[in-house]
Amino acid sequence: MQKLFFCLPVFLLLLHPAGAQEYRNHAQLSQKLKSLEASSAGLAKLRSITKTAGGKDIWLMEVGSGDRSAHPAIAVVGGVEGSLLFSQELAVGFIEKLLAGAKTDSIKNLLATTTFYVYPSMSPDASEQYFASLKYERRGNTSATDDDRDGKTNEDPFEDLNGDGIITMMRVEDVTGKWKSHAADARVMVLANTEKGERGNYQLYTEGIDNDKDNAYNEDGEGGIHFNKSLTFDPPYFTPGAGEHPVSELENRALLDLLHEQANVFAVVTFGPANNLAEPWKFDRSKTTMRVITGILSGDAQINKQVSELYKKSVNTKDAPGAAATKGDFVQWAYFHYSRLSFSTPGWWVPKFEIPKDSAAAKKYKANEDKNTDVDFLRWAEKEGMDVFVPWKKINHPDFPGKTVEVGGFKPFVKSNPPAKAMDKATSDHTKFLIALANIKPEVELLNQKTESLGNGISRVTATIHNKGLLPAVADIGTRNYWVKLINVSLTLDKEQSLVSGNRVVVVNNLQPGESKEVSWLVKGKGTVILEAGAPQTGLKKINITL
Amino acid sequence: MKNIKNILFLFLLTYGIVAQAQDANGVFRAAGSPENPKVSVSWNRYYTHDGITDICKKIAAAHPQLAKLGSIGKSTQGREMWVLTITDFSKGKPENKPAFYLDGNIHSNEIQGSEMALYTAWYLTETFKDIAYIKELLADRVFYIVPTINPDARDNYMKAPNTPHSPRSGMVPVDNDRDNKTNEDGFDDLDNDGHITMMIRKSPTGRFKRDPNHPGRLMMVKSDEMGEYEMLGNEGLDNDGDGRVNEDGEGFYDPNRDWGWKWQPNTIQGGAYKYPFSIIENRNVRDFVMAHPNIAGAQSFHNNGGMILRGPGAEEDASTYNAEDSRIYDAIGKKGELLIPGYRYMIVYRDLYSVFGGELDWFYGGRGIYTFTNELFTSYMYFNRGGRGEDGPPDEHYEFNQNLLFGDALVPWKEFNHPQYGKIEIGGFKKNFTRADPGFLLESDAHRNMSFCLYHAYHMPKLSVEEISEKNLGNGLVEVTAVIKNERMMPTHASQDLKYKIERPDYISIEGASVVAGMAVTNRDLNITEEQKNNPAVLEIANIPGLGSVTVRWVIKTAKGYTIKVDSQKGGVVSKQK
Repeated sequence: MQKLFFCLPVFLLLLHPAGAQEYRNHAQLSQKLKSLEASSAGLAKLRSITKTAGGKDIWLMEVGSGDRSAHPAIAVVGGVEGSLLFSQELAVGFIEKLLAGAKTDSIKNLLATTTFYVYPSMSPDASEQYFASLKYERRGNTSATDDDRDGKTNEDPFEDLNGDGIITMMRVEDVTGKWKSHAADARVMVLANTEKGERGNYQLYTEGIDNDKDNAYNEDGEGGIHFNKSLTFDPPYFTPGAGEHPVSELENRALLDLLHEQANVFAVVTFGPANNLAEPWKFDRSKTTMRVITGILSGDAQINKQVSELYKKSVNTKDAPGAAATKGDFVQWAYFHYSRLSFSTPGWWVPKFEIPKDSAAAKKYKANEDKNTDVDFLRWAEKEGMDVFVPWKKINHPDFPGKTVEVGGFKPFVKSNPPAKAMDKATSDHTKFLIALANIKPEVELLNQKTESLGNGISRVTATIHNKGLLPAVADIGTRNYWVKLINVSLTLDKEQSLVSGNRVVVVNNLQPGESKEVSWLVKGKGTVILEAGAPQTGLKKINITL
Repeated sequence: MKNIKNILFLFLLTYGIVAQAQDANGVFRAAGSPENPKVSVSWNRYYTHDGITDICKKIAAAHPQLAKLGSIGKSTQGREMWVLTITDFSKGKPENKPAFYLDGNIHSNEIQGSEMALYTAWYLTETFKDIAYIKELLADRVFYIVPTINPDARDNYMKAPNTPHSPRSGMVPVDNDRDNKTNEDGFDDLDNDGHITMMIRKSPTGRFKRDPNHPGRLMMVKSDEMGEYEMLGNEGLDNDGDGRVNEDGEGFYDPNRDWGWKWQPNTIQGGAYKYPFSIIENRNVRDFVMAHPNIAGAQSFHNNGGMILRGPGAEEDASTYNAEDSRIYDAIGKKGELLIPGYRYMIVYRDLYSVFGGELDWFYGGRGIYTFTNELFTSYMYFNRGGRGEDGPPDEHYEFNQNLLFGDALVPWKEFNHPQYGKIEIGGFKKNFTRADPGFLLESDAHRNMSFCLYHAYHMPKLSVEEISEKNLGNGLVEVTAVIKNERMMPTHASQDLKYKIERPDYISIEGASVVAGMAVTNRDLNITEEQKNNPAVLEIANIPGLGSVTVRWVIKTAKGYTIKVDSQKGGVVSKQK
């Protein structure tokens, strides 16, 4: 399919210049979710879990049939980065495709036993900047923050100096500068490598004016708290966007409150910058032996690998960057602090550019010796007919009188959000993956039930509890977290019946994939007893036993 | 009988009889205490949330120029979380004075912090007119006193059956045994006396016997001796049939593992709830503190053991406290050891246990506020011996109960037929003994702990414009040099504050002059300065050190008169005209 993507006729590209308005703003996204709910025949239930500081709803779409809270669940979270608009589309597109497929037996049965909690957009305040008259990659919500902690709020924002409605960069010719043009493409600015005897001749800043004259450019503009930087795992205290403490914002709190109550969640899939589906987290013993665990535990690393293989069956990860997790982000929170299996993918990445083999075609490209990704990105985009770069153009800048200042550079959003034509394929692929993940969920069943009469009104009741899924009931990281429930096996008796041996409730700490445990009781009395087994994240099984 | 008492109490409260001062002819002053307070409070008993509410209202009503009552928010179950703002309201705005924050009772069973906080509010207001030190203190500082930050579970502790150690938590139910049910197997008050005491059983293999001197006490037998009793734990049943007793009761989470500096989840830090400030009561405190950046010093009251604690809470956070701040902590903490005999100054992670997400960690780590936690009451106070971490004789609780409380603190053993354990005996200390101060010691302990807080509050920054001097530069220009003094121990910014720029810099400004240039003077003798090019009239100074000064300078066009103003979040606002 990836091949097909490269071969797409050029006219299609011309119809959809890159960065065009195929992404939906908050109102459009909300409308779409409402219509999906309305046409879902009860399979989907939409609700707003809170409103952000900017007054935007944070949506939760529950998808599944029957008692959704009693079925094992996957939480799907998009928009953890406001600049990753595609992650929202991916989450909404997943709901749409899942519901569309619900007519088939396989999906219908899956939804009868599995729940998807989809939170499509966690940074709606920030994402809306894509649609604003001044467009830039915003990450913070609309809470007022003093990003440079100087006692003044929003005193040094971006300025659109060239009047094109987007914020790019500015470069200033200056022998004290540390930046220079890249040899393969002069538009691309790189840090001069002094070890190789290179000299810089440019200073590089974001587009704007130093409004507060502190020699920092645009360091305290509008916005706010950055969702994917303000959670509790290894938070970057007091850095811009991190907040005064982790989880200070309404949207963070509402999501975390709900997820804690959603005890049936066995895995969290984040659509965000980190990618442990293309490149699974690796076990490193040294990170797991301290009191504060900072590395994936060995059993969970094995599962991450297994799920990554599953992912690769649906998604081509050939060119995927193995993007690392970042401080205070959501994917690490979901694993280390929420103690569930946690997976993340950006859902799309820039395909690798190769200089054509044909010597005539290769002629127009200078060798990209250090494999600079910006150079390759420009080459790929040009090949695709996408307009991703604002050419450097001179302006007069009040902070640099008499100096040559140019504004230009990559357009915002283009590097991390796919062109419209690539969206559907990526959405289909990820829908397949999520269905495949749901199909290996932890699931208990009751097997080998038997009742033996020992005479004199006493019966021995025996059963085996078995995990028929390919994932454990409790991840290694969750073994000690009270928010992760254990498997309870209970025998309910009537007033005439009593237990001669065994407890009414037996707690099973965990069942690995394929693992089982036998339980037995001696019961005095006649009639029927009820045997129940399970945990919210494995589903509950119940049988009536006649003594 | 209980009801009649309640009605009588309510009647007394309603008609203010409790609040009336004595006839002045009938009293004689004891040194250091108000001889005829406007608000009369018995400091030898404890108060429910209703009782606290009543005292707060009376203090505010009796001293309108010194005390104002507000609420920092409502608790989980809707109780008001009262805050008394105590200052001399005739001397400047409270928000422009350095503030001292004081709370108690974060652990719901650790009740006396509330009475000691209330005592502090009462003492400050009642002695203001007679004691010059207090008058001066309230002129330039403000106290924010929140008697209880866990009011729901405080009432549960007092009104429902509990041990001296429970609930500790707040009242949000948690599934502690992970069976998807909350609070389904808590204590059971089997003998219906309102106290959860101990269950013991006669057993041929038991390892305990009765202490011949104190029959209420079980003691371990020697290694080569046969015992008579076994211990079965706190009063309770296996309510949910899982083979365990009392494993999922009230709460349980620890409200003091819920704060936003180096917070860790319950897998790492037992007692943590969902995320920092996921407990409403704590969130209310946070909101209050964030809205009052003038808070420079803080104190939380716990019990027990006679400890004056400071952070770091966690060993992993040891680097947060540097030498400069430790010096100030040490000075205040050591003073505390003198003021409160039997109490020891300790560092949480080093001397107690290593713990994440504590209140004092957030106050200091997250806000740069010098903060102590006192573990109120120590067994040293029984017979003025032991204490300071040394245990007294093992039977001293019993000795004290017998001879000074005349047995009031103990429930004698009584037989009970237990559905799971059979014939047992129930008895032991009541919930109000071993951790809470016994009545007659409460006021003394309150006073000493208050004095520690006042010493701490005294050493919050006190700023003044010490000197203004002028030098004519010719051409109509004048050089104005100002020295800003801080005459107390604390700087305007703790080193943690400076490290993360938690609070804004101090603003030292010149008003009413046309400013040509402004600069900080780092060495006046050698004329070393740092110019501030942007907005030189308002100099941004990172810090004004404790027991030290900062020198600033402006070049101005000759002006008739001007004002030098210092505006510091934690140091207050002062100014001087020239």
